[in-house]
Amino acid sequence: MSDRPLLAVENLSVHLRTEAGLARILDDVSLAVPPGRTVGVVGESGCGKTTLLRAILGILPRGALIPGGAIRFEGRDILADRAASARGRIGFVPQDPYLSLNPVFRAGDQILEIMRRHAPGTRRDHRAKLVELFRAVQLPDAEAALRKYPHQFSGGQRQRLLIAAALSCDPALVVADEPTTALDVTTQREILALLRRLAAERNLSLLFVTHDFGVLAALCDAVTVLYAGRVAEAGPTRAVLDDPRHPYTRLLLACHPDRAVDLAGIPGTVPAATAQPAGCRFHPRCPIARPACADAPPPPVALPGGRAVACPHHADALPEPALA
Amino acid sequence: MPEPILAARGLVVELGGRRGLFRRAPAVRAVDGVDLAVASGETFGIVGESGCGKTTLARALLGLQREAAGEIVLEGRTVSGHHPLAARRMRAAVQYVHQDPGAALDPWWRVGRTLAEGLAIHGVTDRAEQEARIAETLAAVGLDAAMAQRYPHELSGGQQRRIGLARILLLRPKVVILDEPTAGLDLSVQAAVLRLLRELRARFGLTYVFISHDLSVVRRVCDRVAVMYLGRIVEEGSAATLFREPRHPYTRALLAAAPHLDGRDTGPSLPGDPPSLRAVPHGCRFHPRCSMAIPLCAAQDPAPEPAAPGHTVACHRWRDAPTEHRDAA
Repeated sequence: MSDRPLLAVENLSVHLRTEAGLARILDDVSLAVPPGRTVGVVGESGCGKTTLLRAILGILPRGALIPGGAIRFEGRDILADRAASARGRIGFVPQDPYLSLNPVFRAGDQILEIMRRHAPGTRRDHRAKLVELFRAVQLPDAEAALRKYPHQFSGGQRQRLLIAAALSCDPALVVADEPTTALDVTTQREILALLRRLAAERNLSLLFVTHDFGVLAALCDAVTVLYAGRVAEAGPTRAVLDDPRHPYTRLLLACHPDRAVDLAGIPGTVPAATAQPAGCRFHPRCPIARPACADAPPPPVALPGGRAVACPHHADALPEPALA
Repeated sequence: MPEPILAARGLVVELGGRRGLFRRAPAVRAVDGVDLAVASGETFGIVGESGCGKTTLARALLGLQREAAGEIVLEGRTVSGHHPLAARRMRAAVQYVHQDPGAALDPWWRVGRTLAEGLAIHGVTDRAEQEARIAETLAAVGLDAAMAQRYPHELSGGQQRRIGLARILLLRPKVVILDEPTAGLDLSVQAAVLRLLRELRARFGLTYVFISHDLSVVRRVCDRVAVMYLGRIVEEGSAATLFREPRHPYTRALLAAAPHLDGRDTGPSLPGDPPSLRAVPHGCRFHPRCSMAIPLCAAQDPAPEPAAPGHTVACHRWRDAPTEHRDAA
């Protein structure tokens, strides 16, 4: 991870004014995607995963405030400098293949429209390239697929179409928002294998948002765990999954049916973005919280092996009932 | 095995058949000859990919979908062969919790009113008794009785699910069909829901039919598991055996495809999409996707046969499959 990152999110905060007050959706979030690597962002609903993606894609909702931070892509700050925005250089694979294609237009035409706006070359070039991409994502009969409507593809095939769309403008980075949650496990497995292969063949970087630790383990080199808009823990995927250090990650992994001794859950609920607790945001639910945890957000502690954990008590054992 | 509380024999359910003046749209057989026996007090898992007939089977067991052939026996009584309304009445002991029970709550009604409505429909009209039962059931699902005064939007997703469960428990069912009860839930909430389900089963002496595509969850909570493919049960056995020694090539492929926390590579993947019910392959329905298929598989439909006590498999070649499996260690 020593090479200069392709994408670097630096101390990013995103707030949103709502009727219930200021929602602090992301707070001081940093992460880096090195060239050619696959990085996962994992967390439960409401942790800020989607907002982070939207900030990177430049599609934050109107009225979003960015009180601090930067997003550097290929060395340029794409938050500060709209003109430098990464047009076409960042591809996006959405979550739901059923909702992401307009049913009344041919799938091929919808992707050609993206290429017309963002990729150089003539329509003839675009068509030739799209057929090549359809072959790369293993759609059956690529030439004919160009003329088909979305309903003529199965769920797995539609996700392949969307991956082809994400690759259509030669991106350096592909951002994916839980692209396999709507699919069956056998199809999911094929899509994950396809993403792995394409990333290797095309030297793509991948930023992969998920709530599924199994998918994370199958695909990602490194992971950042978000809790309530802050980074709880980050590091190489294997190390984090085998030996989680943040109390939140430890309790969350203990809920996984593959690992749980007893299905305990985590007491309490994720705080609302408008009512984040002071200090460490996990402290009201944390079994080893101390009074000082409520005072200031804990800075990340660097650990060996390129890991970091935002908890000064990461070496403490959790009480037995919490992990029982 | 003790007398099953819920059983099906040769169950066939057809969907969407239409007879017009000039043309006939043939029906598809969403469930095609299913034998099933759910023992009292157990959690019986049904797994399979979308379109395999899991939900149609559940609807038929429930009496919402009329069976085209076969027999359903509930507590020793044949309850099949009736008009849906009568069928449903005979099966009041079977209740259904769908994927997102929170979505079934009326946003304009206080939760208490929604709960009372279910009771009234099932003949409990006395106000005091309604209130007592609602308070008792809310406590059982871990909610405060004051929750009855809230509107659905005031509840979290987890609380809405608990209300959805309470609504079913109020009717004092014996068999509860849970359709994807953990779909879309975060890991920590999922753990809490599964734990609650286990507690409720013990407390109310319930039997669960647990429909899910999450194999990690099924392995964790089910006593026995049936694997469905294109309207058939292709393998059935105790969860422990089935996950340790899957015999059917489809079960093996399904288990291999599930992502695991340890990120192990789980063998070759299953090619192709599940074929449509409108074009069910001849012979064994799985043979076009099966790596072990031989000419016999395309010619003859395999009958379920015992692979071990309490473990049946419908495959011509299960004996030839390699016995060692990734989970054997």
